[in-house]
Amino acid sequence: MEVVCGGRFLSPSFSGAWRESTSGDNTRSIIDQSQMGEQEQVSAVMEDEKVIKEEDLEVDPEPVLDIIINNVVSSFSVACHLDLHHLALHGNNVELRKENGVLTMKLRKPPTTASIWSSGKITCTGSTSECQARLAGRRIARCVQKMGYNVKFRNFRIVNVLGTCSLPFAIKITPFSQKHRDAASYEPELHPGVTYRIEHPKATLKIFSTGSITVTAPSIANVQNAIEHIYPLVREFGKARSEEEMAEYRRNQARKQFPILNFEDVEEDLSSSEIEEYWEPM
Amino acid sequence: MPYQKPIIYSTFDPNSCVCHFRSRFVEVCCPQHPEAHLIEDYRAGDQICSECGLVVGDRVIDVGSEWRTFSNEKANNDPSRVGGPENPLLNGSDLSTIIGPGAGGASFDGFGNSKYQNRRSMSSSDRALINAFREISNMADKINLPKTIVDRANLLFKQVHDGKNLKGRSNDAIASASLYIACRQEGVPRTFKEICAVSKISKKEIGRCFKLILKALETQVDLITTGDFMSRFCSNLGLPTFAQKAATHIARKAVDLDIVPGRSPISVAAAAIYMASQASDDKRTQKDIGDIAGVADVTIRQSYKLMYPHAKELFPDDFKFSTPIELLPPL
Repeated sequence: MEVVCGGRFLSPSFSGAWRESTSGDNTRSIIDQSQMGEQEQVSAVMEDEKVIKEEDLEVDPEPVLDIIINNVVSSFSVACHLDLHHLALHGNNVELRKENGVLTMKLRKPPTTASIWSSGKITCTGSTSECQARLAGRRIARCVQKMGYNVKFRNFRIVNVLGTCSLPFAIKITPFSQKHRDAASYEPELHPGVTYRIEHPKATLKIFSTGSITVTAPSIANVQNAIEHIYPLVREFGKARSEEEMAEYRRNQARKQFPILNFEDVEEDLSSSEIEEYWEPM
Repeated sequence: MPYQKPIIYSTFDPNSCVCHFRSRFVEVCCPQHPEAHLIEDYRAGDQICSECGLVVGDRVIDVGSEWRTFSNEKANNDPSRVGGPENPLLNGSDLSTIIGPGAGGASFDGFGNSKYQNRRSMSSSDRALINAFREISNMADKINLPKTIVDRANLLFKQVHDGKNLKGRSNDAIASASLYIACRQEGVPRTFKEICAVSKISKKEIGRCFKLILKALETQVDLITTGDFMSRFCSNLGLPTFAQKAATHIARKAVDLDIVPGRSPISVAAAAIYMASQASDDKRTQKDIGDIAGVADVTIRQSYKLMYPHAKELFPDDFKFSTPIELLPPL
């Protein structure tokens, strides 16, 4: 499986599996990355293998399931001790919180936040893809290096990935949680969604009655596998959306189509001198 | 002398490195029927052979309760010869002796303090357990829970305490969570907010401990339904029986028809009570119901808005309307 930095993300194994189950009518199409803007989207074609017998169960016309990666948390080490006080005084866009002993550095491009400890360990959050996370990590390490530390980029690993997915149908979560007692935990008083944990691939899914699913997993591949794993289980408890739910769903989709951040445009505006200024210590 | 079966055991003397064999007579049995089961008569302190009726043991210690009763409870000396019943399931057997409160002049020193004070170091290993049991008992007392639930909560606490997975958590939080689970398991669930009202732990922490305990003990609990809370909420509000039955029916129908997806059963129950009370003589405001149920009145309003269009199907057939359905408030 190839992962191209900033590009499209295809999973041949997944498409292959679903190819067998199709009726052959619908064409397979992966939504082009450039159409959707900067936000990384893993598009997979989902086929409804069951012929829709119940007239009230209407599925949204487009048979494509978008998995949007919202957050990638990574952790690495610069292999040397850092003086947080010195960094706070001389760095750009940094904030020191003494009670936690953590320095926060925010990057504009890619828009990420890094928590830096004096041991040299750094946690970087806010990226939307694996290579963007790596790029952000390297930029942070470069910032620290420019302030005079002997920095090495060590032990980079992705710790957590948060992905969301909106199914084309609503879900009856009470019978779903009753059927899957062992893996699903539903406490309506505590949280309106079902928390479903799977061991292999390792992931935690939060399934809501509106049909949205939130997945947290150690890697992007796990997120996709988790959605694949859960789709047939959830499909049997699907139900049609009522009119208010449909209106709400459409409003959410419209909001996601035009994301606020679009740093492709920002990159064109920034000239090289501005980048130098941004990195220079004050 | 009663006939006793010989049991031979050996002792090893480390000084002389010699092994001695001694026989010690421990078990009593009937001489004619060595294998017969012995019936124990506690009142007389006897052990009787079940085959021939021979009394083979006597002066057996009576483990029953004190049979002398005393009406004069205010007397300085308590003539009862035994203490309270021990709690063998939930404590290590605590057979230590404690020095009682002094009586007479000799037990007080010059300043008036009692000379022998040993209220400390009673049972250090079970101190946390005893504290927790007392907390659970207090909490249950405030919401009038029966002894069965308290016992179950104590048992859960003991299991969690022995397992030691939740060692870092506050004992009060674990006690509150085990009380919550006990109520659930007995089929009479209490809402988290009701447990919060009698405990000093926040709902968030009780919820966290609840999930951890279920994972640690590898048990599951049933999902809460609207009907579990109907009788309690309605009687707290003072609604008549037919209104309560109607509210139960409305809530159940609403969940069956799936009119209120994703809403907590408590909110649906509260909205059903509102609808039933508004249709009957005894009307209640959303605020009153919200106070009793622990839900915000906007939450009741939201669930009610979802249920209002389907009001005709929700009411039971034999319900007599003081306010007809058309005049129900649409808020």
